Amino acid sequence: MTQAVYTILFYLLAAMAVVLALAVVNARRLLRAAIYLMGVLAASAGLYVMLSAEFLAGIQVLVYVGGIVVLIVFAIMLTRSAELLEDDPSLHRKIAGAIASILFLAVTGGILWTTPFARLGAGGPAGDSARLIGQKLLDTGSAGYVLPFELISLLLLAAAIGGIVVARKTPPPDQPFTSGGDRPGEAEVQLPLRQNNVRGNGGAS
Amino acid sequence: MIDFLARHNPGVSHWLVLSAVLFSIGLYGLLTRRNAVGILMAVELMLNSAALNFVVFNRFVMPASVDGQIMAIFVIAVAAAEVVVGMAIFVALFRCRATIDVNRMNTMRD
Repeated sequence: MTQAVYTILFYLLAAMAVVLALAVVNARRLLRAAIYLMGVLAASAGLYVMLSAEFLAGIQVLVYVGGIVVLIVFAIMLTRSAELLEDDPSLHRKIAGAIASILFLAVTGGILWTTPFARLGAGGPAGDSARLIGQKLLDTGSAGYVLPFELISLLLLAAAIGGIVVARKTPPPDQPFTSGGDRPGEAEVQLPLRQNNVRGNGGAS
Repeated sequence: MIDFLARHNPGVSHWLVLSAVLFSIGLYGLLTRRNAVGILMAVELMLNSAALNFVVFNRFVMPASVDGQIMAIFVIAVAAAEVVVGMAIFVALFRCRATIDVNRMNTMRD
């Protein structure tokens, strides 16, 4: 009975992921495509649970569905892509894309379908994958991942700083660059708080 | 009916073909979209299917270890970094060109 439920769930989630992925690449409105992408990623989280990777499913929901899709929605709104309708790709571009992707699917799918993948390790899936993943990530031995872990943290820091620097407002080329008035005496910044204080003092005296 | 379903459990080939289908759909989007954010979403689809592949091999080839899941976590982290940088570039590009149509981005500076 559980096997039957497993099979039904697999085909249900697979159909949901494929249909929503087709909607992502074919939707005319990009904001809807972003919401469809959220559905695809949630279906993938369900598939991870079926593969007994529960911790990874949680990571997927937290980072992908909660973070990356929100960033993409920000990107759509900041670039006004939601108002500017994406003009339909021309027919020959569609046909060329479909031929390329179907050929890719035929080659890789045929190879994957006919290759027997031998089971290398004994034993079933580990029950507490979160503990094992944590130990592996900070293991300094030969089977540990502490160096890639640190490299990923460095990459995320570099990406955050790089994102801020690239997206920052730069002054037009004929004006000298200023630091925005955070040094004393560089620019007269009218703070609303100070105005309120002045007004309050005037009213009191 | 239940016996039929129980006997047709998805094997490793089914999972891998599902991931290949998702990757191909992402490839189609990558080739046909003109908006840069749409291309970014297609790339996200492809990265997601690659991560799914890692987990499938983890489950069906080495079930007792978690190396494939760790690789999938790295894929998710790199995808997050890629989206951050991509979004910053698109916003900067939109500010100076007022479009993010990739067909009109054929110069390095204006």
